[in-house]
Amino acid sequence: MTDADLASTTGSSGAGDDVPIVELRNVWKVYDTGSERVEALRGVDFAARPGEFVAVMGPSGSGKSTMLNVVGLLDSATEGTVLLDGRDVTDLSDREMTSVRKHAIGFVFQNFYLIPSLTALENVELPTLFGDDPTARDRARSLLERVGLGDRIEHRPDQLSGGQKQRVAIARALVNQPRLLLADEPTGNLDRKTGRSVLEEFDHFRETENVAIVAVTHDPQVAEFADRTVTLVDGRIDDDSSWRGVS
Amino acid sequence: MNPIDRLYRRFPAVLMARRNLSRNRLRSALAALGIVIGVLAIASLGMFGTTLRVGADQQLGEFGNEIGVLPNAEAGVENFTERDVQEIERVVSRGEVIPVQSRSVSVGRGGDVRFVRAYGIESPGELFEAEDGRIPERFRNGVLVGSSLADDLDVEPGNTLTVDGRNYRVLAVLEDVGQISFVNPDNGVVLPPSEFGRERYAQVIVTAESGAAANETAMAIRDSLNRRQERVVVVELSSITENIDQFFGIINTFLVGVGSISLLVAAVSILNVMLMSTVERRGEIGVLRAVGVQRSEVMRTILAEAALLGVVGGVVGSALAVLAGLALNVYVLDDPMVTFRSRNLLYLVLAFLFALVTSLLSGLYPAWKAAREHPVEALRSG
Repeated sequence: MTDADLASTTGSSGAGDDVPIVELRNVWKVYDTGSERVEALRGVDFAARPGEFVAVMGPSGSGKSTMLNVVGLLDSATEGTVLLDGRDVTDLSDREMTSVRKHAIGFVFQNFYLIPSLTALENVELPTLFGDDPTARDRARSLLERVGLGDRIEHRPDQLSGGQKQRVAIARALVNQPRLLLADEPTGNLDRKTGRSVLEEFDHFRETENVAIVAVTHDPQVAEFADRTVTLVDGRIDDDSSWRGVS
Repeated sequence: MNPIDRLYRRFPAVLMARRNLSRNRLRSALAALGIVIGVLAIASLGMFGTTLRVGADQQLGEFGNEIGVLPNAEAGVENFTERDVQEIERVVSRGEVIPVQSRSVSVGRGGDVRFVRAYGIESPGELFEAEDGRIPERFRNGVLVGSSLADDLDVEPGNTLTVDGRNYRVLAVLEDVGQISFVNPDNGVVLPPSEFGRERYAQVIVTAESGAAANETAMAIRDSLNRRQERVVVVELSSITENIDQFFGIINTFLVGVGSISLLVAAVSILNVMLMSTVERRGEIGVLRAVGVQRSEVMRTILAEAALLGVVGGVVGSALAVLAGLALNVYVLDDPMVTFRSRNLLYLVLAFLFALVTSLLSGLYPAWKAAREHPVEALRSG
């Protein structure tokens, strides 16, 4: 399978709103260290549709991050099926998973994870840096303008505030026009007010770009913005909670 | 976009590598310094060898076409007769045959007396240059004085010198011919053959047109004069210079080898620096992988860092080596252009390539290690 195939099956030209952009079917993730066996995910069923904002909550160690890693193709499931835009991506090679991540998935992390030696603009360009992409710089610039950092494009991360860093990270996540944005505690390192403005940014892109957003969080504020909240307990979706928020 | 931006766009690994290196300038500079020293050692030691060799060749070079024909004392031949000389002259088709007589003499000027060797040579202009005065084409009277003896006795052309009780006019002071030659009158005198009477010849010197011709002539003389009995020993200076050349070749190889060890040490320091910096940047590398940068691309970035260290170290080291070579050659040979002999350029190129390859090799393991790491693990650590 070539990169182009992966991009076209998972890119923005996908099916309609009723087909989930991402779907987990009975996904298990088991870590077997030899001495002990940890079941991080135990038969998780999950789906997110285009334009939907899903918050994943749950206590520490409940498997939230593992679920996000499996959804984001950073980690592969031990058992079960992962579908991206209707296509089975459970058993891709590292090379293929990397390519799908590049074209179809955006990541936002709690610690922002900007490269300190690169400018804001270069950080946004990062996912496009390897490979020939003549319009990448223009997209990066316009994304930075859209998140309100048009006057900060040549700044290094240490010259930016926490909220600004997270906006750069959002712009970076969206530079390849993915249909799925994954966020791991996106407001975890921000004060309430800044967190709110970052969430508004998410909301904005969800609405205008029809991007599905899955955010793992402890922050109740994130749940407020979400269309629905899924709660994970001991590696299982807590059924009572899974459709809360959808009337 | 300016050209540098375009270059970076074309080779993003180089952009990342340069930025990463400039993050900890001191550490990068120290790692590059190791390479600088390694390249400097290899290239300048190689150049040093070239200088030695060129210096030796300058001392020897003019005699490469000389052949010395000496009587073989082991066969009971003490000296050559007129007939021997005629036979040599018959064999040597092209080139000069210079029979040399020799004896010990006392040389005096004023109250000073020295016991030195005197040579009888009919055409000394073939073998010697005048440092002062003039060497006559046909040497019939007067005396030529070696430069050391002339210094010793404070003699200059026009003075009178007493040799074995007879007075001679000094025609010229001879230039020093160096250590390697058949006749070295540096601390002696040269007299016309008439002053030696019918004395036999101590040796015969043949000057051929070239080193190759000298070799042929030497073989011809051996064939002819040693047909019945090993009467003569034929010595070619070119073979001596060849041996010396070989010797300096060995010294050169040894010096370059010593230099290579220092580059090896530099490689270890690069390995160390690259390992440290990739461990520090685990989280960042995890992000790169998460946003869709392939393993091979991560590897390329880190290799580019190592290569950049090697290139910078190599360029600086080569530049310093050229300066060192210039200084050495001005000081030793009085000829800075010797620095740019092809052999030296070869050393520079070799040292530079060696630096680049060593850097890349030392970057290989850290790069592989960083690229291989699972992005989830890497992100967790950051």
